[in-house]
Amino acid sequence: MSETVNGVVFVILAFASIGGAVGMLTTRNIIHAAFWLLEVMVAVGGLYLLLSAEFLAVVQILVYAGAISVLMLFAIMLTLRCREDSVCPVEISIGGGVLSAVFGTVMYVAVARYGDRIAEMPASVPDTAALGELLFTKWALPFEVASLVLLVALVGAVWWSREED
Amino acid sequence: MAYVALIPLLPAIGFVVMAPLSRATRNRLQWLGLAGVGGSLVLSFAAFAAVWPGGHEGEAAYHASWPIAQVGGVDLSVGLLLDPVAAVMLLVVTVVGACVQVYSVGYMHRDERVGWYFAVLTLFTAAMLALVLADNFLMLYMAWEVMGLCSYLLIGFWHEQEVPRKASQKAFLTTRVGDVGFAIGLAVIYLTVGSFDFDAVLGSAASWAPGVATAVALLLLVGAIGKSAQAPLHVWLPDAMAAPTPASALIHAATMVAAGVYLIARSLPIFEASGVALTVTMAVGAASALLGGLLAAVQHDIKKVLAYSTISQLGYMFLAIGAGGAIAGMFHLVTHAFFKSLLFLGAGVIIHAAHTQDMREMGGLARHLPVTSVTFGAGALALAGIFPFSGFWSKDEILYAVWHNGHYFTFLVALAAAFVTAFYVARLWFRVFTGPVQTDHLAEGHAEMLAPMGVLAAITAVVGFTALGFSEFLGHAGYWPDPAMAIVSTLVAISGLAVGWWVYGRRHLVLNTRALKDRAGHAYTVLAQKYYFDVTYDHVIIRPYIRATESLSRFDRTVIDGVVNSAAVLWKTAAEVAWTFDGRVIDGLVNGTARAARASGGALRRIQAGRVQTYLRYVLGALVLLMLWIVVKGA
Amino acid sequence: MTEIGPSAFLGLAAVLFTLGLYGAVARRSAVMVLMSLELMAVAVNLNMVALSRFVTPGEMTGQFFAIFTMVVSAAEIGLGLALVLAIYRQTRSVELSAIDSLKG
Repeated sequence: MSETVNGVVFVILAFASIGGAVGMLTTRNIIHAAFWLLEVMVAVGGLYLLLSAEFLAVVQILVYAGAISVLMLFAIMLTLRCREDSVCPVEISIGGGVLSAVFGTVMYVAVARYGDRIAEMPASVPDTAALGELLFTKWALPFEVASLVLLVALVGAVWWSREED
Repeated sequence: MAYVALIPLLPAIGFVVMAPLSRATRNRLQWLGLAGVGGSLVLSFAAFAAVWPGGHEGEAAYHASWPIAQVGGVDLSVGLLLDPVAAVMLLVVTVVGACVQVYSVGYMHRDERVGWYFAVLTLFTAAMLALVLADNFLMLYMAWEVMGLCSYLLIGFWHEQEVPRKASQKAFLTTRVGDVGFAIGLAVIYLTVGSFDFDAVLGSAASWAPGVATAVALLLLVGAIGKSAQAPLHVWLPDAMAAPTPASALIHAATMVAAGVYLIARSLPIFEASGVALTVTMAVGAASALLGGLLAAVQHDIKKVLAYSTISQLGYMFLAIGAGGAIAGMFHLVTHAFFKSLLFLGAGVIIHAAHTQDMREMGGLARHLPVTSVTFGAGALALAGIFPFSGFWSKDEILYAVWHNGHYFTFLVALAAAFVTAFYVARLWFRVFTGPVQTDHLAEGHAEMLAPMGVLAAITAVVGFTALGFSEFLGHAGYWPDPAMAIVSTLVAISGLAVGWWVYGRRHLVLNTRALKDRAGHAYTVLAQKYYFDVTYDHVIIRPYIRATESLSRFDRTVIDGVVNSAAVLWKTAAEVAWTFDGRVIDGLVNGTARAARASGGALRRIQAGRVQTYLRYVLGALVLLMLWIVVKGA
Repeated sequence: MTEIGPSAFLGLAAVLFTLGLYGAVARRSAVMVLMSLELMAVAVNLNMVALSRFVTPGEMTGQFFAIFTMVVSAAEIGLGLALVLAIYRQTRSVELSAIDSLKG
């Protein structure tokens, strides 16, 4: 079991995440868009589980599905003057379409050409204990820097969003 | 046998198809939910036939497990287990679910968000079926939580109004208290056994240390108490009546609230290994059965009467399992699911006809709603425990089991609860169906509302006779009701009905309960205040919590801000010193550079359109070019 | 069922990234643009976790990169939304086209 990924579950989660992304881009209601993004986040969390990255899966659910989605909803609600404000037409951007089409083609070629260089899934399965140990030994410095980044971002966010008085 | 997997999957697919559609399309495709549940119904009959004739406790007719991933060195898998208990539950859930779906077509047809209603109802059915078929505690817990979500969504379905919104939050948070206990219990199970599988856990339960078994059983019980609205976490269920009535019939009467009972029945070996936990279960059940019944007797809202009645009847099931009559408890679960959902559906027709939920404003409906009064009457007699309706059989089995196992005090409590039950059934009946008519334009429900009620009434009338077969199907010796016990319980029920008739049925007293209130005095106030549960929670938990957050915020403003501000003053002085140095020395250097930059900037300003997204396009365009270059070059 | 190899994950991540890219360029609401950026960040993370699983399961390098990406994108979203609020207070709008004070 450890050397393969369950195909059925992968297909379901892939459809869920792509469907969520498409839903997010095509809905007219920005609140619905936030919930579609939430679906993508949860589906990707499931994909992390398939990849045996259970710690990341939990963090993904906590941070993206929990914190960031709520933050998004707060920002949306705070910038709506009335209920009808949340609905706006979906703009079609030709420039964006061309850009993403080119990008998608390039990525397709890249994946098709180089994706199969690694075909086998290694049998050794990463586990959370080892991840924790490495995080606080080999990756201790980046970890500390990351905490500093978060602190600065926190202060900055508080500073920007306070009421002028 | 792989079609068993389709039983929960069909409704789930129905939800997945319906959820992303636009509101108008979803409203037009509302039959998708019924199609999904109908498919499950057919497959459930097939599954039941496959298990038939059963008779071997714990032997699975179908057991499959699909691994999904490896998590932390342990296989994570989804598994289905079809055994006699699951087969019976499948039938109950799909029959009631299909009836409620058909009924809702008539009940909800004027609502503008009817499509979403059906979608959530279908998702709920899927979750309940998954819970029934789960072969491990983790999957059961997942389905359990999805049901909680659906319950929340349906209670708050009319979220434009204040009451349903508040009620949905209350229901969600109160059941959460129980769910936390459940989750901790799961963690203890995993620590003890290293697996969530029913086979592994329940098989080894007898060999656990007694303390562990008691702890796990009590934690699971906490979860069951929250979900099944038992005292002291019952407060959410009456408020949950803000949900659309058919949703209440399915979720808050027949299936979800019974999931707690199902959980205890499934994990019975753990409870038996503990012993203490069984006694606690019995005590909780007995308390809820009596208290819920007494509260039902003073409510004026017809749905709240039924809600408290549900608490009381679920208490009966807890009591039965705790007293060692698990089969009797499960049988009561089955009969209760049918007759209580029937009563709720009838209440829906009554509310539509009378345009009120207050029983004081109803009366004389029997003449105008003939079909409803007959079907409702069948449900009411079953609830009161009158032969030959189903409630009589299951209640009798419970009473017999309690008596047989020597719990004489509990037996008395159960009898008292049966008496109160019969009393409020009579009160409900005479208030609503007899006496003077108080509203005009009374109209019987649509055909699609009456047909499911007819089906449920027929089941209610006959399902009791399967009592013997039910026990044997689950692998236990069955027996017909003990004649003495049957006589005692029938006498109690009839006397309850008689007292109810004496108080509410005689014509001149119909609208005048003031005399009774005066005589009951203090006791009536306590009941009307619902034993002060809500008031206590408000005073003991909610208000102190708000006060604590307020004082914390005061601490923040005074102490923390003071420290920060003084640090800021220090920095400011240091910065001023630096500023003078900056102005004299550094600026001289910088100004020269600035002049050069200005000249070049003048040339470049043309591409500065000032639009953020134009910049974004440049950046992403560059990214695409970079990717192109890497791919063409061949890495 | 065919074998799910790294290509499947990389392809899925590419699709998600492309969709996010389109959204970031096409939508005018600042919040929508931020959400599209999040979508792109998630796609990148998925790539890294997949490669980590297939290439360096022992060292989990990709997982660590994903953790730090998450930190950065969490910081980014917090700051971004604070900026959106600040802009909204100034212009009473979250439309990016309404903000052109950077015009040179």
